[in-house]
Amino acid sequence: MILVVAEQRDGTLNRATWETIAAAQQLASGGAGSSDRSIAIAVLGSNTVAAANELAAAAAVDVRQVLAVDHAALEFYTPDAYTAALDQVVAEVGPSLLLLPHTYQTRDFAPKLAARLGRALVTDVIRVKTAGSDTLFVRPMFQGKLTADVVPQGPTPHLVTIQIGAFRADQVAKGASPAPVRAIRVTLDVATIREKPEPPFREAKQAVDLSQAERIVAVGRGIKAQEHLPVAEKLAAALGAELAASRPICDSGWLPMERQVGSSGQTVAPKLYLALGISGAIQHLVGMKGARTIVAINKDPDAPIFEVADYGIVGDLFEIAPAIVEALK
Amino acid sequence: MPETLEVDVLVVGGGPAGLSAALRLAQLGKGAGGRPLTVAVLEKAREAGAHMLSGAVLDPSSLRDLVPDYEAKGAPLSTPVREDRVYVLTLSGKCRFPLTPPPLKNHGHYIISLNRFVKWLAGLVEAEGVDLFTGFTGAELLMEGETVVGVRTGPRGIDKQGERKATFEPGVDIHAKVTILADGVRGNLTKVLLRRLRLGAGRQPPLFALGIKELWAVPPDRLAAGTVVHTMGYPLGLDQFGGGFIYAMPDGEISLGFVVGLDYKDPMFDPHAAFNRFKRHPLVEELLAGGRLVRYGAKALPEGGWATIPRCYADGVLIVGDAAGFMNSMRLKGIHLAMRSGMLAAETAYEAVRDGVFTAARLQAFEQRINDGPIKRELYPVRNVHQAFGRGLFAGLAYAGFALLTGGWWPRQMRSAPGHERMEKLGGRAGLVTGGQSTDLANPDRKMTFDKVTNVHYSGTRHDEDQPTHLLVQTDVCHTICAEEYGNPCQRFCPANVYEMVVEAAASRLQINASNCVHCKTCDIMDPYQVITWVTPEGGGGPRYDGM
Repeated sequence: MILVVAEQRDGTLNRATWETIAAAQQLASGGAGSSDRSIAIAVLGSNTVAAANELAAAAAVDVRQVLAVDHAALEFYTPDAYTAALDQVVAEVGPSLLLLPHTYQTRDFAPKLAARLGRALVTDVIRVKTAGSDTLFVRPMFQGKLTADVVPQGPTPHLVTIQIGAFRADQVAKGASPAPVRAIRVTLDVATIREKPEPPFREAKQAVDLSQAERIVAVGRGIKAQEHLPVAEKLAAALGAELAASRPICDSGWLPMERQVGSSGQTVAPKLYLALGISGAIQHLVGMKGARTIVAINKDPDAPIFEVADYGIVGDLFEIAPAIVEALK
Repeated sequence: MPETLEVDVLVVGGGPAGLSAALRLAQLGKGAGGRPLTVAVLEKAREAGAHMLSGAVLDPSSLRDLVPDYEAKGAPLSTPVREDRVYVLTLSGKCRFPLTPPPLKNHGHYIISLNRFVKWLAGLVEAEGVDLFTGFTGAELLMEGETVVGVRTGPRGIDKQGERKATFEPGVDIHAKVTILADGVRGNLTKVLLRRLRLGAGRQPPLFALGIKELWAVPPDRLAAGTVVHTMGYPLGLDQFGGGFIYAMPDGEISLGFVVGLDYKDPMFDPHAAFNRFKRHPLVEELLAGGRLVRYGAKALPEGGWATIPRCYADGVLIVGDAAGFMNSMRLKGIHLAMRSGMLAAETAYEAVRDGVFTAARLQAFEQRINDGPIKRELYPVRNVHQAFGRGLFAGLAYAGFALLTGGWWPRQMRSAPGHERMEKLGGRAGLVTGGQSTDLANPDRKMTFDKVTNVHYSGTRHDEDQPTHLLVQTDVCHTICAEEYGNPCQRFCPANVYEMVVEAAASRLQINASNCVHCKTCDIMDPYQVITWVTPEGGGGPRYDGM
């Protein structure tokens, strides 16, 4: 039996799960080997009824049963709980092959599960082939420059993860009737789960998108020390501008890398670009020369920034920037 | 455990030596019938040829043996050498050698772009079924005892703090019966192997030079295509090894550069400033006026010659090309020797794999092939020349002439010290060499001469900024003894502005702009305390030497 491990979050199955079912169907119909090629699908969570019913109702060909693995400790994903639960599911249903979608979650626990079971793991498979009685799993190596045909060795079940997008979810073949859903009880000792997950959250979208900024105040090495950054911050606030920097500032960690303008940072084209203490190395210029108006403040009259600036002020930024803030008030 | 890949022969480095080895292995496998060898080549550049930098004038002798039908196969050798000129320069004057010294005669040779040549060679290699892994670094040697059993490639997707990013991909262990190290001048793996197995014991210490080169587009009537110009003298002092070169290609494409021995004494000397002075000399200025800079690059080169070549074989491993020092510093040529050494290593490795014996005793056949063939024939007679230049320009020229007449006779091997040991401390004679020259000519005018950072832009160099630095420096010496003794010469010998002493509050600190690095290896060679180690950055990073 091929056991597909479905992946759900809040009762919603992801597309990678359906792609993995498509891969399982191809293996089941391939006829390679002599083992039973029926398919079972396991879905893990704290309330998997909806997802299990969705899988059952889809009536995919060759799917003989859907296993609903419910436990309170499976509400949020943890590698310890998933590994322990799947270990028990495998022991109960005895599959010959375990198929998983190659998602971040699978990447996290599959090696641990394979190690616990003492079974071979083939990751990131893009195709399956048969050669004689062997099933060959094709996987990329060296960032896709080579592909390797892999035949897992040793006792079953072998674990195989399927690359996202390698099989098509819309090619899951429909059968005649829904599959039965069976609940599987697992015993998990909460004390053995070492990870304590917080509810999942989506990281706030990158706070700055300099390429959309209308006004930018950029600082360079002339600012001299991190403690002096407020000089630029105040000017940016007064102008309603985003704060950006040249490479040395971000390299020193004074500002995050997403605020770096230049050939190894962002390319920007604001209406106003005010360069404070930036000498204007070509690597910086290529990132900002599309700005409509460039104002440069620098102590060195020979600084290359003045060659691209529309307005240049030769002088000490620590005197001039506060004066501009004052004037804007 | 990292993933593994098993091959018969692994070549580290896709330059002329490595690719010649790979191509020869494929040819030998095909010729003998039976199972072809599995051969893999690792190349750190994003694409083949991107890290290749040379003058370059090619002696096609090895190419003729490796690819007899190279013309039919479209080898990019469009510019045969038509004229040689040699000048001695003074501040504003020049004196042409009435006769071109025989080693500098280039009749029958070609002016090439090594970048284009290697790209072409890589195409032939891939067509033979060799796996060329571009963008992968050879980060570590895999050894069992004293036997090299393969190489671990560098991981990707590690951030500045050493943590894994979402794009993390671990390195791969490539196991090989024979590993051919073609990792170039001061190769990072060769360096480790030489130290670990003491392969340089009994040899003279290796000597290096730094070559800085630019590609220019000038009005097409300035210099006839096929003209090869070499210069000596200004802006270098009489005790410095080095000189300039100008090679003219069709359509106004000019390759010009300056080579300085990495054994200069003055810690205040700056090779890039010397290059700028050279460009402001009337001879060069007239040529470049109204032209446009196309590319910039820099690379160290092995100058020591025959006496400095280490033992090039050990259990499971061979060393070829610049990594071993196969270069003729009298003829200013090494590409043909790199290719020849790669071919001879391939023949040795092929026999070893066929017979299933990979010991040093078996691979010693490589040394035999070198001794019996054109490499020793060419390098042995000039074995003392670079060492003689260590005693100054006149001594070097005098000995070079003597060696030509006598076929290299000399009672013994001349000795030399490692270049970095010759650097003198501040307060001695330091500053005198450049002190007498106007600084105006070294200061960039931003039309003909440029500052290092601008030049780096023209090298096309890119590295992901969010990765650990690949220049490992014991920085505790920088603001203490080095500042006092040598004035932090890393700021000057690096041609890419990687090293900067930044004054913060009261103390100064070394800032390493690793993403500027053009992979020339000068810092690893020339640092007077030898506390800089160049390791591989993430694969795919580095310069992009299109047309160089």
